Amino acid sequence: MFSDLDPILHSQLRLSIVSILMTVEETNFNFIKDATKAAAGNVSIQINKLQEAGYINVKKTFKNNYPNTTVSLTEKGRNAFEEYVKNLQKYIHPK
Amino acid sequence: MCHINIFNTENMDEKNFTPEESLSIISKTIEETRKKIQDNGHIMILWGCLIFTVIFSQYMLELLGLHKKFDIVWTCILFPLGAIYTFFYTRRKTKKNNIPKTVLGITIEAMGWVFGLNVLVLATVFNNHIGNALAPVIMILLAMTIIVIGLSIKYKPLTIGGIILNLLAFGTFWVNPAYYGFSLMFGAIVGLIIPGILLNIAKKRGNV
Repeated sequence: MFSDLDPILHSQLRLSIVSILMTVEETNFNFIKDATKAAAGNVSIQINKLQEAGYINVKKTFKNNYPNTTVSLTEKGRNAFEEYVKNLQKYIHPK
Repeated sequence: MCHINIFNTENMDEKNFTPEESLSIISKTIEETRKKIQDNGHIMILWGCLIFTVIFSQYMLELLGLHKKFDIVWTCILFPLGAIYTFFYTRRKTKKNNIPKTVLGITIEAMGWVFGLNVLVLATVFNNHIGNALAPVIMILLAMTIIVIGLSIKYKPLTIGGIILNLLAFGTFWVNPAYYGFSLMFGAIVGLIIPGILLNIAKKRGNV
């Protein structure tokens, strides 16, 4: 089912994360957690999966002695998202 | 098609879902993110009131015969104070609400600062060259900034306010220069204060 759809993006939380990153230049872990209202552990797992796929850049730094994870979309991630949306449209409006 | 809630994503990550549900997640997420990062009308109201106050006070100073003594000081104090407040307010708000960087946010901020700096240079360096046309030129620059921001954030009252201000600026060229201040005051009301108030109301109601 839906074989053309990128399996990395065809997951609700990962799709939400990439959608957020399509809207912003870069953001941090807490913003994604608040926006998706998902558990921190789950967000962390999905961010790792997206990073392994090369779809996002993850920078880990410290801000006021607290860990600060900054996330941004890579070119590969942006292209994958655009391709995913194109394929979605094919399913929704088949010729 | 089952209703999908993007906020209950915890245990559904690998579940198969329909293309319609995918699109729903994308559009809802983008919409929610836009709402979170959208600025309120507070700064617009502040600058509208500031322009109105400065121009109004200059008329009052002129009536009292104190124009030559205080108008420059008044303008030179209030506008820089507004710029300093805007800088620290937006910086604090961004940090406090954990607002991420966006292309749109960067563009809007840059437009505001470019407008401010151009007005500053026009009013101080080229004041003698531009003469009486300074007021309508400032209004045109402000109208351009407002229209572009209004179109960018897809907020009609702001775009309409900007268009009215732009037309008002052209109309100002036909008015006696002594009354240019009234055009600026009216422009501040229609271009900044009213859209700012409407934006705040819409944000409170969750419509923007």
